[in-house]
Amino acid sequence: MMGLLWLVPLLPFIGFIILALFGKRISNRGAAAVGCASVGLSAVISMLIAADFISFNPDGRAYSQVLWTWLQVGGFRPQIGLYLDSLSLIMVLVVSFVAFFIHLYSAAYMRGDDGYSRFFAYMNLFVGSMLTLVLADNLLLLYLGWEGVGLCSYLLIGFWYRDPANIRAAVKAFIITRVGDTSMAIGLFFLFLNLGSLNIQQLLGLASRSWPIGSGMAVAGAALLLGGALGKSAQLPLQTWLPDAMAGPTPVSALIHAATMVTAGVYLIARTHVLFELAPQVQAAVAVIGAVTLLVSAASALTQVDIKRVLAYSTISQIGYMFLALGVGAWSGAIFHFMTHAFFKALLFLAAGVIITAMGGEHDIFKMGGLRKTLPLAFWAFLAGAASLAAIPFITAGFYSKDLILWSVFSSTKGGVWLWLTGLAGAFLTALYIFRVFFVVFFGQMKAIPLRKRETLFIIPLVVLAVFSVIAGFVDLPGWMGAERFTGFISTSLPLTQTLPVGGGAEFMVDLLGAVVPLIGLLFAYLIYIRKPAFAANVVRNQAGRALNRFWLAGWGFDAAYDILLVRPFDRLSRMLRGDAIDLVYSGIAWLNRLVHLLLSGTETGRLRWYVLVLGFGGAILIGIAVLL
Amino acid sequence: MAPDDLRALLPFMILAASPVAVILAIAFYRGHALSFIISIAGLLISFGSLFYSFRYAPRAVTPLLIIDRYSLFFTGLILLATLAVSLISFGYLENRSYRRGEYYALLLSAALGASTLVASSHFASFFLGLEILSLSLYAMVAYTRGSRFSLEAAFKYLVLASVSSAFLLFGMALIYSYAGTMELAGLALVSRAGPSVFATAGLAMMLVGIGFKLALAPFHMWTPDVYEGAPAPVSAFVATVSKGAVFALLVRYFSAFSLHDYPYLFWVLAGISILSMLIGNLLALLQNNVKRILAYSSISQLGYLLVAFLASGPQSFAAVSYYLASYFVAMLGSFGIVAVLAGPRGELVNLEDYQGLVWNRPWLAGIFTGMLLSLAGLPLTAGFIAKFYIVSAGVQAGQWALVLVLAASSVIGLFYYVRVIAAMYSKRLEAVPYGEVPVGGGIAVAVLTVALLWLGIWPSTLIGIIQRMIYGN
Repeated sequence: MMGLLWLVPLLPFIGFIILALFGKRISNRGAAAVGCASVGLSAVISMLIAADFISFNPDGRAYSQVLWTWLQVGGFRPQIGLYLDSLSLIMVLVVSFVAFFIHLYSAAYMRGDDGYSRFFAYMNLFVGSMLTLVLADNLLLLYLGWEGVGLCSYLLIGFWYRDPANIRAAVKAFIITRVGDTSMAIGLFFLFLNLGSLNIQQLLGLASRSWPIGSGMAVAGAALLLGGALGKSAQLPLQTWLPDAMAGPTPVSALIHAATMVTAGVYLIARTHVLFELAPQVQAAVAVIGAVTLLVSAASALTQVDIKRVLAYSTISQIGYMFLALGVGAWSGAIFHFMTHAFFKALLFLAAGVIITAMGGEHDIFKMGGLRKTLPLAFWAFLAGAASLAAIPFITAGFYSKDLILWSVFSSTKGGVWLWLTGLAGAFLTALYIFRVFFVVFFGQMKAIPLRKRETLFIIPLVVLAVFSVIAGFVDLPGWMGAERFTGFISTSLPLTQTLPVGGGAEFMVDLLGAVVPLIGLLFAYLIYIRKPAFAANVVRNQAGRALNRFWLAGWGFDAAYDILLVRPFDRLSRMLRGDAIDLVYSGIAWLNRLVHLLLSGTETGRLRWYVLVLGFGGAILIGIAVLL
Repeated sequence: MAPDDLRALLPFMILAASPVAVILAIAFYRGHALSFIISIAGLLISFGSLFYSFRYAPRAVTPLLIIDRYSLFFTGLILLATLAVSLISFGYLENRSYRRGEYYALLLSAALGASTLVASSHFASFFLGLEILSLSLYAMVAYTRGSRFSLEAAFKYLVLASVSSAFLLFGMALIYSYAGTMELAGLALVSRAGPSVFATAGLAMMLVGIGFKLALAPFHMWTPDVYEGAPAPVSAFVATVSKGAVFALLVRYFSAFSLHDYPYLFWVLAGISILSMLIGNLLALLQNNVKRILAYSSISQLGYLLVAFLASGPQSFAAVSYYLASYFVAMLGSFGIVAVLAGPRGELVNLEDYQGLVWNRPWLAGIFTGMLLSLAGLPLTAGFIAKFYIVSAGVQAGQWALVLVLAASSVIGLFYYVRVIAAMYSKRLEAVPYGEVPVGGGIAVAVLTVALLWLGIWPSTLIGIIQRMIYGN
């Protein structure tokens, strides 16, 4: 089975090629079939491979498959190879599995759209690139996948390209992630130059042998890669593109901007964890960035009125948790949370998509209300997702993964009480903001009559993802509740968290707080949005409250600040430089080329005697040089 | 002649028999399809017999020819390219009312001349092969004799080629007067004694003749006129088979003389290479005629090839072989598109005719884009790998000046390739009378596209073949 690994990323690419070449000729039904089947098949294959990997490979030895050597010149030997260990296996499983259900959902969601087959072509291209990214055994191929998913993200945010706002959002996402990608590309050159290899495993081995802990080289390498991860995963200070990215169709938000692509940064750091452990300063920065991001964006999520923007800020915040976990060396916690997050956040987006469709494209939660009775499917699905996101104790997957992170942050040698408190505060805000949406949308007065459509293709993905949002956490229970299976599995590729000696009692207390705080958040949401709806309005009426609300609604003013600090000065600078000396050099070169072209064209007279003359003279000069000199 | 000699020579004999078969068939029944089928069959059988005669290689067959891996590899390349040209020609000639059958006899004998060149080990076979090739080409260039341009092109080609042949012959004579032999092996022995004025002058004069055939600057003047005037499939043949064969011969003959003994000859060649790269690319810059653009492009491509040749060493050998293969594919594909698009009223060669091609003929526009990008040397096409090999050969040999000019002129080159591409993807101006896409030409360009991508993404197959050719097994 393992031998079939190459098919996993290839199948979606084949789907893409079929759709891209023949998209116009095949019916919508055919396009959906191609799109879903290619991803579904690769999900099936990855599950078979997973079964093989787990049953015949108890110590989790990595499997690598070299497909071909692109070219071989001297020491430069870029290979197209895949690398499967427990980390990439989890990624592949989650990506292909979630992607398949989102494809199914899209088949119904996009019905009637002009660009139906184009949509599936992009989506397949995305899945192929994402799978390439996580399976790549070298950084060059990883970078190819990395740029591929970036391209698809751009194409799909601007999918409805007739609206200029969507194009602006797409361009914004592309440019901001480009800042990170540039840093990452420099990091790649840096690593290749200093270590002489781009194969990830070789490179990590070389790094740990030749660079001492805390050396400048390791810090530079890790920091450059971190730059890439920040852009892709929408972490501070490169987070501003993600809320605008919601301009794309909702399945896109679910797949790319929640479940998979935005977690690529998390994957990159986990994959190159050796490098980050060699650079403790950078790793500490990862933790701090994660902590700040999760708090800042949770606060912003609290004030949004657009249901998708709430979820977007929530995504930034949850990835903040993953970064926090990476920063304290809780590798398995980060990957575990990636997995549960993929399920519940995709679920939340898909449920939101059902609501938005039913409300005729309305995004404002305050124009919805009382939808519990009329949209029972969306209600239950959203409830499952929200509970998991809020980490409602014991019965949801989100609880177990967030709990693992909080406990690791508390107990890790690299963690600390402050980071832990930030995480805890974030957990409170998370419960508050998501149940705010939940109560406002599904309870209270009905403000508009939803259009009900029965869509089988909506039901299956929602139910499956809801089930996983609840049960996926049981693979890893806290120490005092049972076995840490997931951590054990992941530990074959990522090291265990280094913990301080803390008593068992402390773990119980930390877990208890982690369980209680979300419930308090839920209670607050209930009190504010069900019991005393006037309360929120009162807060906003207050001057300070209004200012804070506006500030958070605008995402802490990052866009405005960037506009003033970067965009406008750059704009002004480029205006100033219009037609100056720097341009003159380049237009001078172009002008020179044109001049020489005109001069040379003059020699092509079409006259035979002139040609013979040139031939003769050329020959004479040539012989002269060769003989006389 | 031993029987094994004949066995080793089998591909060449089949190739020589097929134009005769075409002519005989015409004597009894004049049919375009019949001539076409005979020539396709001849080419395929000849190609198949390469694998048979491979078993007897290397073998010197008479002092004139040497059948080794090298000559068999390039003969294979020539046969495949000729096959592509005949496929493209069939549809092209169907649209025209000339007598079509004889064309294939000319094409096949030109291919025979080219194959003789790559197997040549004696000045006599060198000159013989060259003249067989050239004589067939004169007639092929003039084949659409209703066109004034066609006749003019043939005339120019005839006169200039004769002048260059004169140089070549005189150079051969000088070398013979010095070395007393015209055999390659003998020449190599003599040249080890050290350079002399006779040998240097002779080599320089031969270079003029070879430079003319390769359209290297400053012997390039004829190229645009001939490519423009000749029918598109013939231009494809001149650009690929004729040049490739002469280049393969250049590599074989000049590796017999070690160039380091002739420092000035080396510098002359380096100068020719730099001039060709720059002049070719600069001439194409604002050109509006697609066939002329391709002609200038071929001048610069041969300049790139010289860089690899001058790097010398086994790496350069591989680079030259790979580059020639990739250049064959891209050039045949480009001229193939021009031929395929030609309607009954004539070829469409102006840039305006290609405006908005993608809306009318999306597949052809896509294929042409791929071919042009390969000529420009962009990744995922064969051209990238080929150029990469050339650059790395140049760098390893420390030829920095050549590599820098190569890089700079590639940038200039990108401009005009993208200019054509931009035209194809811009808005359509008015309806252009594109012809129906003929089946043969369509198949040929489709296969060439697959080859282009295959060589770009999976180069190790061809590299493996080339490595075996150089090092044996």
